[in-house]
Order: sequence, then C-alpha cells, then structure tokens
Amino acid sequence: MYAVFYPPNFAAQVAAKQRPELRKRAFALVDGEPPAEVVITANQAARTAGAEAGMTKLQAEIIPGVAVVRRIPEDEVSALAVLHMVACMFSPRIESVENAPGTYALDIRGMNGLFGDEAQLANKLRQRIMAAGFLANVAVAQNFDAAVCLARGKNRVSVAPPGHEAYALRDLPLHVLNPTMEQAETFHAWGIRTCGQLAALAETDLISRVGQAGKRLHLLARGAAPHLMFPMEPSFEESLIERMELDFPVEMLEPLLFLLARMTDTLLERVKSKALAIALLRVVLHLDGGKQHKRIVRPALPLEDKPTLLKLLQLDLETHPPSAAILKLELSAQSAAPYRAQHGLFLPQAPEPGRLEILLARLRKLLGEERVGAVELKDDHRPNAFRMVPFATPPPKKSEEPSFSVATALRVCRPPQAVSVALVEHAPVRVFWEGQRYVVHEIAGPWRVSGQWWSEANWCREEWDVRLKAENAERVCRIAFDPRSRCWYVQGTYD
Amino acid sequence: MSSAAAIRLQVEGSLAKRVPAALTLKTKQAPELFSTGISDVDAMLGGGIPRGSISEVAGTASTGKTSFALSTIAAITQSGAACAWVDVSDALSPESAAAANIVLKRLLWLRMSAERRLRVTDKPWPRLEQALKATDLLLQAGGFAAIVLDMSDVLPQHATRIPLSTWYRYRLSAEQARTAVVLLTQTPCANSCAALSLRSEPAHVRPFSSDGETALYEGQRYTLVRERNRNEGSMIHQKKPPMRAEWPAETLWSRVR
Repeated sequence: MYAVFYPPNFAAQVAAKQRPELRKRAFALVDGEPPAEVVITANQAARTAGAEAGMTKLQAEIIPGVAVVRRIPEDEVSALAVLHMVACMFSPRIESVENAPGTYALDIRGMNGLFGDEAQLANKLRQRIMAAGFLANVAVAQNFDAAVCLARGKNRVSVAPPGHEAYALRDLPLHVLNPTMEQAETFHAWGIRTCGQLAALAETDLISRVGQAGKRLHLLARGAAPHLMFPMEPSFEESLIERMELDFPVEMLEPLLFLLARMTDTLLERVKSKALAIALLRVVLHLDGGKQHKRIVRPALPLEDKPTLLKLLQLDLETHPPSAAILKLELSAQSAAPYRAQHGLFLPQAPEPGRLEILLARLRKLLGEERVGAVELKDDHRPNAFRMVPFATPPPKKSEEPSFSVATALRVCRPPQAVSVALVEHAPVRVFWEGQRYVVHEIAGPWRVSGQWWSEANWCREEWDVRLKAENAERVCRIAFDPRSRCWYVQGTYD
Repeated sequence: MSSAAAIRLQVEGSLAKRVPAALTLKTKQAPELFSTGISDVDAMLGGGIPRGSISEVAGTASTGKTSFALSTIAAITQSGAACAWVDVSDALSPESAAAANIVLKRLLWLRMSAERRLRVTDKPWPRLEQALKATDLLLQAGGFAAIVLDMSDVLPQHATRIPLSTWYRYRLSAEQARTAVVLLTQTPCANSCAALSLRSEPAHVRPFSSDGETALYEGQRYTLVRERNRNEGSMIHQKKPPMRAEWPAETLWSRVR
C-alpha cells in the first residue's frame, strides 16, 4: 500500500508560509532572469483576478490587487526538507514523485500497528503536514500511480480499497494523469473528460490512435500502471561526520587526540559496516576568536586501521598546530574501497602502505613539506628543473632499462655558490672558492644556454666544465657566468 | 663419544631453554648481495654490496662516490625494490639520477638543507642531526632495500664526531630490516660497524681534449679500493677477489657522441 501526499500549488504555499503578509493577498510568483521574468504560479485569489502561469511580469503587474513577488528557491528547499522529515516519521521507505514538487509517496506496508488502518494513517499524516504549515491532499491506494492521481485529483483524504482503484479514479478529470498538451486536446476533441471514460476505451484502439503513450495513460486511468519504487536513502558520505563542542577551550593537542580517537573510531565503524575504508579525513577546528583551522589528511591508500589514521592526524596537527584555543571540533571522512594486495614471497622489498604513510608524515614533520618525496623531472631545458611529488611505492615490477655505461653524477650546489674568477682572454684561469685558491688546470666551454625568452622568467648563462687544482685538492666542477648579474658561481661538482 | 663432546652436550642441554646451541659455532650465512651495476666493482666485491649491513664509501670530492651510489641504487630500483636517499647537503641532481637509469618513482629523496649555506666550514649539526634522525626512522619503518646516507660534503672533523652508538644502532636496524645502508663520506667514520669499507680515489686523469679537438669533459675514471669486507671469509669466496677496481663514468653528452 502507498500513501501519497500532494501539497497543491506548492511554490505559492511556500511563499505564503515564508512571508506571512502575503497570506491574505492575491499574489503571483515570478521567476527567471530579469527582464524576461514570467509568472510560474499564483494563489487562488490572484487566479480569480486573472493572473495565470506563463504571463510576463509586466502583464501580472497591471492586474489590480495582485502583488508580484519573486520566487526564492532556497525557501522551497527548506520546505522540502520539512516535508521530507514529516514523511520520514511515517515510513522508512519514501519516494519523491517526479514532476510534482513537494509530493512524496510512502510505502506504508506494515505500519498499521503504529498508525492504525489506512484511513487513520492518512488522517494523521495530513494533520502532521498541516501542523508543519502546509495544506496537502493525502491518498492511499494499492497502486503507486493510482495513489498519486487520487492525491492530485481529490481534496483532503481519499482511500481506494485494494482492487477498486479504477472505481476510485473514475470521476477524476484527465489532467491528473499528466497528459501532454497534444494528448489533452485529442481527448477533449473525442469528448473524453474523465479517467473513467478513458479507461472504458478499448486499449488496442487507443494505442492505434495515440501510440504507446496511450497505453500508459490507459493503464494509469485504470489504476494498473506498474511502478518500481526507488526509496530515497540518506547519502552515506554525508553521514560520515562527527561534531563535538568542548566545555572549555583546549590549547593542548594531547587531550584533543582522545576526542579525535573516539570520533575516528565511530567513523571507522560506520565505514566498515559498508565494507569500505577511509580515504580522507577532514578536521575542522573552530578556534577561539571565530577562526577555523582546517586540515586534510589524505593517506595514499584507503585505510581501515585506527592507530594509523590517528597517528597521521596527530602528526599533521603537530606539524600545523592551530593558532588559538579550540572550542569545537568537526571530523568528517570520505570513504573508498579498501586497498587489497596480493603479496608474494618472491616480490621485491617495498614498504608497507600503512607504515609508509606514518613514516612520510613523520619525515614531513622533521624536514618540511617540500623536502620529502619522489622527484619528477620537468619538461624544461633549464638545468635541474624538477618537482617533488608524493612518494608512493609503485607496484613491485621489474623494469628493463637499456643499460648504458655509468653516468658521471653532478653534485648540485643549492643555491649556487658565488665565486671569484680571474679571467685571461675571456676564459677563467683561477677560481677563489670557499677561501681557497684553485688553478684552472683544464677547461671546456663556454656552453651558452638560455630559455623562456618569451616570458619574464627568461634566463641565460655561460657554462664551463673546469678541472680545478689547489695545493692538496683536485675537483672537476661546473661553473657558470650569468651575463645579467655579471656574476660567476659554481653550479656543482662532478663526483 | 668423547668426554668433551659429552660435557658439551650436557651443558647445551641444560642451557637449551635460555641459550639455544650455546657451545656450537653459528654457521655464517652467505649475505645477500646487491649488484652495483659496475662489473669490475662487482667482481672485486664478490657480487656487490651486502644487504642488511652498512657499506661505507669514503673519498674526497670528484672521486666518484655519488656516481657509484647512483649506479647501485639504479640497479636496485630496476629490480622493483624501493630505496631512499638521505641528502645531507641537498646536492643530488635529479638529472644525474635519471641518467643513471634510476626508477625515480621508487626513490624517496629526503632533502636536509633548507637554509642558505654561507661557508662550508659552518656547523652542519642541524642538518646532520636531521639526517641521522631521518635514517633512523627509515630503518625502523623498514621496507627499503637500500638507504644512501650522503654526507659527502660534511667535513671529516664533523662526520667523525657522530657517536659510534649511532652506527652500531644502524647496523642492528639494517640487519633486522634487511636494508643495505650506503654511507658516502669524506673520511671513514662508521669504523667497525661497516661490513664493507671502500675508499674511492681518482684514477688516471682523462684529458678534456685530445688530438687538438675542441675541449669537452667526457667523463672520468675512478678507483675503488676495498679496505675491509667482513663477508670475504665466507665459503663462497674461496678465491680472493682483487682489492682494487678501476671503473669509468661518462657524461650524458658523451653517450650521444
């Protein structure tokens, strides 16, 4: 059995509820981008005065005694939330009916013990909706669509006994079936005014004239249209949030971690009940003074392990501590399918994902955010152009790289160290570096390199490879001359 | 059964619960070795650097320590394992790493120095302390096949002041985590904790230009001298390998040439 409640002229009801001054006046609601605003609905008084949907704002304004007000979608959203809440009190299985805002269908099977028979339930439902500030028609029927049509067509409460849907729909006008304009005109031309008259037509004849849409209308008119209910379910992701207000401001992180542990535990239980894991934790700390401190902990792989998650939270909050005492905390999570890996005895060694996350968080705390990770070369001509990326062990797989001879490594000076250079015929002959005097024993260059000439970040330099010799030291270095700053510096040492 | 053997059995039996096989010599297992990617060096070391212990490479600047370490890490990352590079002076060149064929995704790079260094003689303690702590964390977490602790730019007077207990701790952790710790220094500092001690030296100098060609730095030849190898007494190394290996390293552009 289905109970359907239908608040007629929902948008107008919401407007009148939110703005009490409109209740005793004729008003029309307009919507759309100015200046092309059109009337979308009007209350009974305004309709009597001549206002109707589809009029332009200007046309509505010239009707005497009719106030033109703008529709506020936010009010309708909050009104829908109220109606949804009322529906939830009567049944756990609710479906929002398409093309009819504010209309909800409730599966009331097994609710007799709580609310009495169908008529009693329908009356109680209507009373509850009226207490919430809305007028609604309530209909109960065995067939979903029959209940919807009844609620749209009959005022107050109507109950169709099982098997008598066609009889209950018999006298209702055709518009409750929601036909298209074309279909309504056709039926009008045939002299068919009610659902009963439509149901009396032969189905095959109707299909041959109107098409397959006629079959559906015929089924609706007989109260026999099939419908698979899709109950609305609360979003699981939205439920993954925990809030806690503190009795007094907390400045230390340690007591906070006790609360975070409890909240993480609750979230994990919820997530695990759906065989999922936590992919992201978002902490919002409401601070003394009205500020908010937001942190996001995103493990490389979805985790189900509470100690690991808690340790990551702790390390992140220790690395980025809040600036003031904490008044309220909020912890929300994002779920994902847990990480599953088939380990093998003969696979190469790789860090365990959970432990690796904690290790990286500890290292970030020790060294800084940008100082830990894997390196990725940039597609750039500038020497040593790279970016740090988060380190995550890729699946252990042997890679067959072409084997070359061993490459000479350059140890880079970051930042480049300025040196004094003595020149003979534009080539360096002596270098003074770190308080030591080196003689240039061999030299190769200059290699002139430049890039990004099209932007402000353009650069150019002359690079030299030099073998430097001091009294007791010898090293091969790359030195460079920047023509803009007229400065010599050491880029690195070959080692 | 002789009386000595009987007494030994009796003593071992009574101590069995506390010390298993108290009077029997433990047979030493041949260590697992990681190839260095340089055939001459591998031949000298009997297969490569040992896993689960500290290998120390000491030498002055431009003696090929970094090239050797990069080549070793390249061979390990290509086998599919993850490695870490603890960079005390933030001197690693990603281009050199890529040229050495390292799988960059499998290399965790930890960069220590954040502040501008004015002179090399400035006290490097904060960076060194960070590096030692980071290495400790890496070894405790486990899972890395090799960790390179690059202290090449740390002056000997500073590196030798690192307490021996640190190296002892590293040795035990490396053994448990089955990680090869490669230490790059200017002077040996891990002492007896290093299972393998190598000294790097420049080999004969290869001139920048020959036969009047345009001068070009094409590479260098280096020498690695094996000073100590704890594993050489194992049965598999019956034939004593050579003590010194010479190997070449080429610049990226000379490959193209």
